[in-house]
Amino acid sequence: MILFVLRRLVGGLPTLLLVTLLVFALTRVLPGDPATLLLGEEANPQLAAKLREQLGLNRPILVQYGAWLGGLVQGDLGRSIRDNEKVSPIIWQKLPTSLELAFFALAIALLLGVPAGVVAALRRGSATDAGVTVLALSGISIPNFFLGILLVYLFSIRLDWIPPSGYVEPWVDLRKNLLLMLLPAFTLGTALAGAIARFTRNSLLEVLSQDYVRTARAKGLGERIVVWRHALRNAAIPVVTVIGLQLGGLLGGAVITEQVFSIPGFGRLVVDSVFNRDFPVLQAVVLISAISVFLVNVLVDLLYAAIDPRIRYG
Amino acid sequence: MKKWAAVTLAIWALAGMAGAKTTLTVGLDSDPPSLDPLLSSALVDRQVQNQIYDKLVDLDANLKIVPMLATSWSVEGGGTVYMFKLRQGVKFQDGSDFNAEAVKFNLDRYRTAPGSRRAGELAPVKDVQVVDTYTVRVVLKEPFSPLLAILSDRSGMMVSPTAVQKLGADFANNPVGSGPFKFVERRRQDRIVLAKNENYWMKGFPKVDELIYRPFPDDDVRTANLLSGAVNIISPVAAKDLETLRKNPNLSVSTFPGIGYQGIYLNVSKGALANKALRQAFAATIDRDTVDKVVFLGTAQPANGPFPPGSVGYDKSIPAPKQDLDLAKKKLAEGGKPQGFSFTLSIAPGPVLAQLAQVYQAMAAQAGIQIKIEQVEFGTLLDRGTKGDFEAMALGWSGRPDPDGNIYDFVRCKSPNNYSQYCNPKVDALLNRARAIRVPEARRAIYSDALKILLDDLPYVYTYVPQTTIGMSKKLSGIPTVPDGILRFRAADLGE
Repeated sequence: MILFVLRRLVGGLPTLLLVTLLVFALTRVLPGDPATLLLGEEANPQLAAKLREQLGLNRPILVQYGAWLGGLVQGDLGRSIRDNEKVSPIIWQKLPTSLELAFFALAIALLLGVPAGVVAALRRGSATDAGVTVLALSGISIPNFFLGILLVYLFSIRLDWIPPSGYVEPWVDLRKNLLLMLLPAFTLGTALAGAIARFTRNSLLEVLSQDYVRTARAKGLGERIVVWRHALRNAAIPVVTVIGLQLGGLLGGAVITEQVFSIPGFGRLVVDSVFNRDFPVLQAVVLISAISVFLVNVLVDLLYAAIDPRIRYG
Repeated sequence: MKKWAAVTLAIWALAGMAGAKTTLTVGLDSDPPSLDPLLSSALVDRQVQNQIYDKLVDLDANLKIVPMLATSWSVEGGGTVYMFKLRQGVKFQDGSDFNAEAVKFNLDRYRTAPGSRRAGELAPVKDVQVVDTYTVRVVLKEPFSPLLAILSDRSGMMVSPTAVQKLGADFANNPVGSGPFKFVERRRQDRIVLAKNENYWMKGFPKVDELIYRPFPDDDVRTANLLSGAVNIISPVAAKDLETLRKNPNLSVSTFPGIGYQGIYLNVSKGALANKALRQAFAATIDRDTVDKVVFLGTAQPANGPFPPGSVGYDKSIPAPKQDLDLAKKKLAEGGKPQGFSFTLSIAPGPVLAQLAQVYQAMAAQAGIQIKIEQVEFGTLLDRGTKGDFEAMALGWSGRPDPDGNIYDFVRCKSPNNYSQYCNPKVDALLNRARAIRVPEARRAIYSDALKILLDDLPYVYTYVPQTTIGMSKKLSGIPTVPDGILRFRAADLGE
């Protein structure tokens, strides 16, 4: 098991390297010159050329990549082109925010999605099933920006219960932090809950038609035990896979939701660094996101083994 | 027991004091990139910088130059020597003294530090000399009348020399000035926190204890935050939201003309618009009143040129051009395209800009001119502008208080922002003359001569002057409305 994890981690390194190379190449292909953008209204060709030299942007791409990689190995992510701030502290400032949002969104998604899917499967064909399906599809199809604005209008402007947007660190004011997380987490969570409910329902229906469920019922086990212990556990594998994929996406930053609720997380950082051609920050964010997706995948593999004893890694 | 009661009371009192702290929260449309005036190249930076730093001189509501850190000045040597008398007893927020040495340090830094964004506008300065502790002499290479206006902006912001020497490259993230508020912390894309400067030289100011800036790039989000009371003041207000805010009994809205302009660069070096008659044909299709009413709901004043009303360069005898379809058709025939022609208009992303482009498109179509609209991301748009790789491009200018700042670098041969690739030695000569003269009427006359040539050559179609729009809580008072659009919070009062 430990060997498996180690092997996966080492095996992931080439992938990560490839991702960094790809991002590096792509950022350099983008039209638009960081120096000109940085100079904004004060741009003039001589100053821009001087600045490019100062930032090392006039060196060959491979040399720039080598220098970046060299720094990375020593834990140095470079400095932001935009305000000369070190990249690592920026990342550490944003990462907890995105993690917190992802955590709450996922919690809401699980709390809503799994029970809804189970109920729909058990009452297959009933009005409840149809209701869950409609709600799930609505959750998936309503765009985040729309739901977000709708929630802000209702809870912040009409009812005045929750501040419309912003972020306060939990260690500064926990109550306010949770309050501010509620709407964005709900916005993101409902979309995920829809997918989770659909997958739970379909997977559970399939399992419920299996022979061993019939056997379990024939043994005289209560319906609750049959469903929650025997069926749901076996139905969990596809659901876990979906959750893993969704979590990977969340950690990359929920761009639109963060924008609507003014949450200073990874998503806004990405957009901002693309617009400003802030290459060092962009590379770091993509690298961290890639690592997160990769780690979530390893975690999902381990969960498979935990759920289904037949799956073993050695 | 008594002891405990006393402690409890003390805590109670402290908590009470903490609760009495007044915080003013400001919603802006973007996160200021740099707080060091040396490196600043975005308009929004100035919003925060103006609270942290005092400038040598300031602007009043009529764009008049008024004293700030310089209490008086005189111009000698035929306009090549400026003598400044400095305010005494001013200290930077780190406790160091403001004096002539500090002024020299700042101006020399802006002129010579590597990567300085101020070097261009201060290029006419030859030398800065300390006469005595509170007198500075600025010597120019040649007469340069925009100097005072330039010193009312970032080039005139006085930062603490001690802090710059101590912090080096990190100064921008820990700025120190002598202004009414001092820097506390900033979190990218989230907030910038400033606190009252207890030792501010103007006694009794500032009135609020804490000033927080928060960026809301989305118009709806910015408005929602003001409506809910989460922020006390926002700028800008999207035109579509003005009515909502005006109807709200707790809010007030103010709109006034800014110092910038908006319009369209026409590439005179290539493509269909290299033909002057065709540029004139297109320009004649534009109905500025429709743009103002339809797209901006009355917040975009029709422009006759790069100088907004209130500017020294504004000439009210030159009317903003009206739509003239007969003229457009005549010019099309003159340009050899009586049936019309087509060109591509490049614009930056955004719903309002897209709507504006569609209005231009519809107006041009009336004369048979087909416009293809192409929306490109801002960085790409600038890139194409710099390379002259476009036919027409909608991009404006935030504006400078002196007319020179709205025209000199835009239409002179090979000047940095001359995306149109326009070159007319007559215009260059006029603009160089105008910056050497200090009599406003004489300057205006020269600018009008240049403008008349530009309105005929049309390297740029000046369309409208965007208004500065501010929405705020009715409790808030003491904020002067200065056309440069900067909210000055020195005297701001929340009335609590």
